[in-house]
Amino acid sequence: MMEIINSKHWIEWLLIVAKFAFAFVPVLFILLLIPMERRGAGFIQDRQGPNRSYFWLPYFGRIRLFGWVQNACDGLKLFTKEIYAPSGVNKILFALAPAIPFVIVLISPCVIPWFAPMVFTMGDQVVRVSGNTVDSEVGILLLFGLSSLSAYGAVLAGWASKSKYSLLGGLRTSAMTISYEVCLGLSIMGMLLMVGSFRIDDIIAWQEAHVWGIVAQPIAFFCFLISMIAETGRAPFDVAEGEPELVAGFHTEYGAMQFGLFYMGEYSHIGINSILVACLFLGGYSVPFFSQTTIQANMGYSLAVLCGVFILLILTFLHMIYRYSRWYKTSAATNKTVILREYSLYKLLGWVAIPALAVIGIASALFIHPEFTLVDGKAVYGLGIALGTALIQILVLLVKACFFCFVWIWVRWTLPRFRYDHVMNLGWKVILNIALVNLVITAVVAKLVLGGN
Amino acid sequence: MVRQIKQTPMNWVERLYIFEAFRGLFTTLKHFLRGLFRYETLPTVPYPEIKPEIPRDYRAKHRLMLRPDGTPRCVACFMCATACPAHCIYIEAAPSVDGRIEKRAVRFDIDHLVCVFCGLCVEACPVDAIRMDTQDTSYVHRNREDFITPMYDLTAWDPKQYPQNDTQSQVAPGGSKNQQALEAWGLKVH
Repeated sequence: MMEIINSKHWIEWLLIVAKFAFAFVPVLFILLLIPMERRGAGFIQDRQGPNRSYFWLPYFGRIRLFGWVQNACDGLKLFTKEIYAPSGVNKILFALAPAIPFVIVLISPCVIPWFAPMVFTMGDQVVRVSGNTVDSEVGILLLFGLSSLSAYGAVLAGWASKSKYSLLGGLRTSAMTISYEVCLGLSIMGMLLMVGSFRIDDIIAWQEAHVWGIVAQPIAFFCFLISMIAETGRAPFDVAEGEPELVAGFHTEYGAMQFGLFYMGEYSHIGINSILVACLFLGGYSVPFFSQTTIQANMGYSLAVLCGVFILLILTFLHMIYRYSRWYKTSAATNKTVILREYSLYKLLGWVAIPALAVIGIASALFIHPEFTLVDGKAVYGLGIALGTALIQILVLLVKACFFCFVWIWVRWTLPRFRYDHVMNLGWKVILNIALVNLVITAVVAKLVLGGN
Repeated sequence: MVRQIKQTPMNWVERLYIFEAFRGLFTTLKHFLRGLFRYETLPTVPYPEIKPEIPRDYRAKHRLMLRPDGTPRCVACFMCATACPAHCIYIEAAPSVDGRIEKRAVRFDIDHLVCVFCGLCVEACPVDAIRMDTQDTSYVHRNREDFITPMYDLTAWDPKQYPQNDTQSQVAPGGSKNQQALEAWGLKVH
């Protein structure tokens, strides 16, 4: 026991335990995705989207947070509803099924690297902490395997519900998962061939050294994205819960938080898949135009730039707030004073945050000058620099993932649902073949040009 | 008028679907960005706080037009009640006190729960006594009886809320042309 504990530095143990918190990142994506989906859908359809729910603050009155409070209201409603099962269902499986997608969602991010492996000196020891919870040689295969397990939730729900609609929905889900897992695996093979490794860390390192995967393998990227959307079972591939035919598909008989778990499982699945696409094709945590060594050597300036980006975003936000305020002042709205009072809170927060960030940025640019020691001819910095780099890299990864979250919503509210046989046609006859041809061409080119082994 | 729409068969670019899908994505992106950055230009309005602009010729709640002395213009001819397809107008006639006019209405009830807002009563009226240009589209009551709108409700409108070029509205008491109209009528001006 003591040998195991002593085999690693205490700070390494601490970071390893802390990394478990990343399991909850896809769950946090739900908080982002629900308002993004509902208001995004509203905007795409020229509506306003849900923006009425609010909480109350003493001076500022009703705080609506642009529809973000709707999350809490939805959740509260689902939690307080009665859980019931129709008679004749398989009780155990019926209760178990909604938990499966959600549990999978907590497990599967374990192989996603959130930051480049940290290498830093602690005292006179060099500590290396990998960016993912499980540093596996077959990371991406593990992730595919785990995320395809979430189909069990739908299948078991369909089987246990004792409803024809649910059963058909479950069947369709299993068929979809089988067909699109193949496309998913094959479309990524070209990328893996060039990298020569299944580790997501290596894939990102290759992209950092060469070009982003979306440039190297554009066709694979589209195949992968389409398969991913199909695998999450979202529109236009949501035949498993197609309302016109199957009421609500596999979760027809579910209500309350059991339905909520399916819902949350679906959204966090989108979160994981967005992170995965960002990792495989958009360089993952690698900062565009700056290498990791540059960032580490100029940590103070990097943090200053980060603060500058935040200030720019807050200024944009404030500009929008001021524009809305001006419009509300001239409009004939009867709730003018309430809205303007609410906006005054955002203005206050924005104008407090900007000087604070400016001070932090300037201070970091002036005072952070990292010292390094040479280890095997490479500059290795201390713990603070390693944590700062990790912070920047996590933020970059999350920004890329958020973009893909938007793509999911964007596609859903643009394209109509495919008919079931069209989905199968597209999967087996189009995407699979494109992925195979792409793989062959990549293999030939990689052998001839890159001179692989 | 019959409009014939020719359906041209899709060419091969359109049949590939993917390019048309991107075109669709571009369209939705435009709408999304409009909602995000030009929120106030959205065609929908937050309803109870901001009321939509209702045009004058929208068939809204009825009103009875008034003569310069404040009596309703209605001569109780029953044209509107006859024209009404829903039979929602109830009129009781009485002899008019004015010698130039034969009859007047002592009761003029419109049941707004039965009314279909077709506007035929307005078309039928020979003396322009009933109109539907109040722009009042939502009126709520607690029981059914209250929806039967009596004469005092139908005549309780303010000329100041109607345009100046609407002479018929402005000659009513309180309107900008009331004094002139009273003089033309030969009534004493106070």
